[in-house]
Amino acid sequence: MLKNKHIAGSCVISNGIVIRNRCKEFESSHTNLTDVLLSIYQHYQFSYPKFYKMDNLSKLGWLAAEILLKDRSVKVDYKPEDTGIILANTNSSLDNDLKYQHTISDIPSPSVFVYTLPNIVIGEICIRHHFKGEHAFFIQQKFDAGFIHNQVSYLLDNDILQACVCGWVDVLGEEYKAALFLVEKKETEKSIPFSAENMDLIFNKVNKLR
Amino acid sequence: MSSTVYIAGAGVISAIGNNTAEHLAAFKQEQAGIADITLLDTIHKGRLPVAEVKLTNEDLIALTGLVNHNGRTALLSLSAAQEALADAAIPNLNTWRTGFVSANTVGGMDKSEDFFAAYLADNSKGKLRNVYDHECGSMTEIVADSLGITDFMTTISTACSSSANAIFYGARLIKNDVLDVVIAGGADALTKFTLNGFNTLMILDEAYCKPFDEERKGLNLGEGAGYVVLVSDRVAKTLTKPLYATLSGYCNSNDAYHQTASSPDGTGSFMAMQGALKKSGLNPGDINYINLHGTGTPNNDSSEGTAIKRVFDPHYPPMSSTKSFTGHTLGASGGVEAVFSVLAIKHGLIYPNLRFKTRMKEVSFEPETHFQANQPVKHVMSNSFGFGGNCTSLIFSAV
Repeated sequence: MLKNKHIAGSCVISNGIVIRNRCKEFESSHTNLTDVLLSIYQHYQFSYPKFYKMDNLSKLGWLAAEILLKDRSVKVDYKPEDTGIILANTNSSLDNDLKYQHTISDIPSPSVFVYTLPNIVIGEICIRHHFKGEHAFFIQQKFDAGFIHNQVSYLLDNDILQACVCGWVDVLGEEYKAALFLVEKKETEKSIPFSAENMDLIFNKVNKLR
Repeated sequence: MSSTVYIAGAGVISAIGNNTAEHLAAFKQEQAGIADITLLDTIHKGRLPVAEVKLTNEDLIALTGLVNHNGRTALLSLSAAQEALADAAIPNLNTWRTGFVSANTVGGMDKSEDFFAAYLADNSKGKLRNVYDHECGSMTEIVADSLGITDFMTTISTACSSSANAIFYGARLIKNDVLDVVIAGGADALTKFTLNGFNTLMILDEAYCKPFDEERKGLNLGEGAGYVVLVSDRVAKTLTKPLYATLSGYCNSNDAYHQTASSPDGTGSFMAMQGALKKSGLNPGDINYINLHGTGTPNNDSSEGTAIKRVFDPHYPPMSSTKSFTGHTLGASGGVEAVFSVLAIKHGLIYPNLRFKTRMKEVSFEPETHFQANQPVKHVMSNSFGFGGNCTSLIFSAV
């Protein structure tokens, strides 16, 4: 059964800029991705020691989810089994796979190896926010808002989930972008309708801020 | 939903034998299957011991009659599944709704490795048919086709708990009246991919593994396949052979602690064992034997031992890790050890945990070190704990 669905919040990280709920919140003074990620972590005064162990893809996704959900009590509002996450990107875990490949000639690194899967970023976000519902990671040529909209709508319309984080988290070298959306059934003052068009608008807005 | 699921047949292939009879003989003689690498083409030959099935792919083709495919996982799978189905000897099988629920983790990776060796040297080379069956589901399809199973087939891949989850999923298909007969279990062949991966994680022992021993250094990889034939009450009534056991309890849980390690307090394995006991309606004191996950890695055995202490203290049933014989057969291990569990019930056996010497500091119990026959074994718990924190316990009970 079709249900009304709303984008309760969004977070885009791209070009060193953090945009939360369509407003610019922070701009990093760094250019190197690893430094950008650390500066965001420090700006928001996050405290999660495991962050330092993560690869850049997980760091980027973890930060975007943390900022997306920072004023939201998703953990209180929903049962763990009713919250899930649908992500996509174009470069899978290739950024970390290449770093792992460079360690093979010396001593293959166990700590780098365990991040050589794209869905590890989903695991990191689920552990942090206690999501225990459906999750999936898709590899696609470019951000396909229509596809994400279909996937998430199916999960919410069929009551498989009550709330879903969805979007894009992609890293390859110094090229990166994250755009996460929190989708819920209840409407709030600040929410906007959940549609492919609205996700595309938010996804592309960062380009105009360059 | 409350109907009983019976085990009517069993089939297994591993480093210690090509069928159930050879396995029973190896257990009795306390003969491990771990040795230097002979078949797998790898730079680790001579350095890392493994538990290889002692048959070449050509031998397996001759054994199974599978001429169109030579991926080793499919060959091992078909060999054990054929034995299990023949063992069950279900009259008029084609009149029942029959499914094949099979687990594996490497799929056709062995052939993909052959392809890439040639392709990377010259990108006009490499036989594409070697990557055609790369993905895990292909293994299930090849074997289901060979067995003539068309009603239902699916593949489960949850790392080292894969085939335990396949068995429990198969049981649920019967309980929900979707199927009458399910051949459930799993297979995995040794590949460079898995050997190198586990080597990277630094959890391989360069000597023979010592599960649950204070001095344990890591695991030895193995390969094989194990299947049980699950049947409904209605099918069970038509059988002329005695049934092995019932699947009385099962539970899956996840401790979401680390990509590859278990939590130190064994939360996931504790919840899996507790849940399986609850499902079966049994108390910890009813369990007569635990087939441990017992990989031999410092992390697993410490975590599993701590969880066992939380569930069973102070009365511990006999327990052992048969991975001291077969190595860790990864996606196959839950199926292989389910076969060992039902054989333990049928023949009243306790298997030894080879090479055990020193009790682990954190626990107050020790695994069994010698083969014992004529034991009262009515309820067996089988543990399978996988990467990603995916933990499953099964309980088999005498009929």
